[in-house]
Amino acid sequence: MATNVFDMCPASWKQVISEVRTWARLNSIWAVHFNSGSCNGCDIETLATLTPRYDVERFGIKLQGSPRHADVLLVTGPVTRQARERLVRTYEQMPEPKFVISIGSCSISGGVFEGCYNVGGSVDEVVPVDVYIPGCPPRPEAIINGIIQLLTHVKEGTRPVAKRPEQTAEVASSQQERVVA
Amino acid sequence: MNTEQVLKQAENLLGTWNKETSHPDPTRLDAVVDTNDLHASVQAVHEAGWGYLTAITGSDLGLVDGRMEILYHFCSGPAVLTLRVRQSRDVQVVVPSIADVIPPASFFERELQEMLGIHVEGLNNSDRLFISDDWPEGVYPMRADFTLEQAAPVSVSHAAPLPEEGVVSGNTFVVPIGPQHPALKEPGHFEFTVDGEIVTAARMRLGYAHRGIEKAAEKRNWNQNLYLFERVCGICSHTHAMAYSMGVEKLAQVEVPLRAQAIRELVAGLERVHSHLLWLGVAAHEAGFDTLFMYSWRDRETVMNLLEQITGNRVNYSANVLGGVKCEIGPEQSRSVKEGLTYLEGRIRHYLDVVTTDVMFLNRTRGIGTISFDEAVRFGLLGPTARASGLVRDVRVEAPYGAYLRYPVSAVTETNGDLEARFVVRLKELLVSCFTMRTIVDNLPEGPLSVRVPRKIPVGETISRMEAPRGELFYYIRSSGGETPARIHVRTPSLCNWVSVLEKAVGRQLADVPMLIAGMDPCFSCNDRMVTVSRSGGSQTWSWEQLRQHGIEYYKR
Repeated sequence: MATNVFDMCPASWKQVISEVRTWARLNSIWAVHFNSGSCNGCDIETLATLTPRYDVERFGIKLQGSPRHADVLLVTGPVTRQARERLVRTYEQMPEPKFVISIGSCSISGGVFEGCYNVGGSVDEVVPVDVYIPGCPPRPEAIINGIIQLLTHVKEGTRPVAKRPEQTAEVASSQQERVVA
Repeated sequence: MNTEQVLKQAENLLGTWNKETSHPDPTRLDAVVDTNDLHASVQAVHEAGWGYLTAITGSDLGLVDGRMEILYHFCSGPAVLTLRVRQSRDVQVVVPSIADVIPPASFFERELQEMLGIHVEGLNNSDRLFISDDWPEGVYPMRADFTLEQAAPVSVSHAAPLPEEGVVSGNTFVVPIGPQHPALKEPGHFEFTVDGEIVTAARMRLGYAHRGIEKAAEKRNWNQNLYLFERVCGICSHTHAMAYSMGVEKLAQVEVPLRAQAIRELVAGLERVHSHLLWLGVAAHEAGFDTLFMYSWRDRETVMNLLEQITGNRVNYSANVLGGVKCEIGPEQSRSVKEGLTYLEGRIRHYLDVVTTDVMFLNRTRGIGTISFDEAVRFGLLGPTARASGLVRDVRVEAPYGAYLRYPVSAVTETNGDLEARFVVRLKELLVSCFTMRTIVDNLPEGPLSVRVPRKIPVGETISRMEAPRGELFYYIRSSGGETPARIHVRTPSLCNWVSVLEKAVGRQLADVPMLIAGMDPCFSCNDRMVTVSRSGGSQTWSWEQLRQHGIEYYKR
């Protein structure tokens, strides 16, 4: 219904409405956190970014309980077999436009857990990822930096072109092969 | 009674059941028993009140040896009794369940069933606890001949009904909680059966964060495993790495320098402060006391700074190496540690005041989830959860290790056993930790930071016990003389403490559930979404946030 009203608006109104939307979105990014099998390290650092020292709430970012009210999905940890389906479901419940931030080395490449029998691999094999934040765990400053990158793109109305840190992943997997051999 | 006498007593208790005795080290007694005698001998040990069951380790000795071994570890102070059962791995391995004698053993036995395919006779629970729903039947990851190809996902039709489908029967309905929690930590899944507001049954499913670390460890060398085990848990990473390295050092017969031991204890102390403050905040948040949440997390940053200054990282600090530590405490570090501790002590005293005097908060904690001393013993509780009921379960006090021999700590106990007592115990424990840390910094022994540990560890097995912030952490390490371990088994304290939630939720209001779960400081939290199926048959979706809100509103009345 809302879309129809928007479609009926004249072009100049549409421009104003999308500007207002972007402005609102920029100042109130709500995030939902999903732990897909992490060691808790990234989770406590994610939480630390929300508490007084780092306080991302000054950017309007708030951790939100329900995926249905969230703009950003923060995923930590390698994707375990049991968590995989839950991750997809959580992602699907989020309204558009939605963004995914993958936090920590494990969520990027499986990290230290690559090759474990219950670990499926990286988050981007399950849901599309917009921003990668490497680190074991990434510092709160790094997490804030990742979020700001996302915000910059939201401001320009573009979707961030995430570059997977291939180098890191390759190094990790070659190390892994060496270990298994 | 000294350790020797305690072990002698255990030997007498076992009597003729004991087929083969050995003393791998002065504090351990290793007894081989027949499978048929197992139940009777466990009963004898238990009824004589000899210690408590700390873990059950199953291990596959491999195709060459052709046997499987199941070890039942009992601890009494520093003494460890291991009952060893051996069976051929070519036929179905069957052991009797001991859960009728020791209820918490059921968790360990379910692990045996899932990981090694050992049939536990008399354990009527075939629900999966750790491995995923799409895991094929008859494939057991911890067996020696397991390959990844065997574990190809199968359709989940055989699995228990999806948790989101609440079950209504008569006047009761099932409230599923989990596995996603918005605020932090690991995922788990609970199902509480409720009649109106009252919980009548509780069930739990783990395995959302199960990664298969024990198996992975068998493929990596001793040094690499240090960093793997550090990542079992990001909150108590140092304790895991320390338990692992102390076990390996014991096997390699390496003496760690005193200075390294002291620094290990110092970092462990800082970790305890960070972990308990984290927990204080989260628990306060569950009660709706967000101000306390924010304050305690602000103060926690002081500890994070200290950890970073000493080790170079805020989380997963990697302070340990095999044979010592890799971070030095110079005059600058000592000064900041002392300054930080002075500030924190003041704040902790303030929080102690808050949790014992704030009327609103006491409504949510006083007299709720009370566990008596006897129950704590029966449930096999560990750590602060046990100490809040007056049960001294603290490895640092009962069986001091490493630097705790030089810088002893005293056990903090409370007698009420309710949620309030668990808050008080944890906070008072922090004051003790702060005092010990100050002593260490003032009296650091001189000497090297580490000694060399060989690449190959001699054949043998060892047990390493350590007090993590949540309770006793147990490592069983076996080496076959190679560059990689043959078997490592980890039993974390949270697994033992779950019973306190599952048992204590029954008969309580649904509104108390979030606080009960928070009260044991689970090293994994639960969820975001829950579905309540109301009696009229219509369903209503609740988030964890709403459940929390429900708890807060309920107590406003």
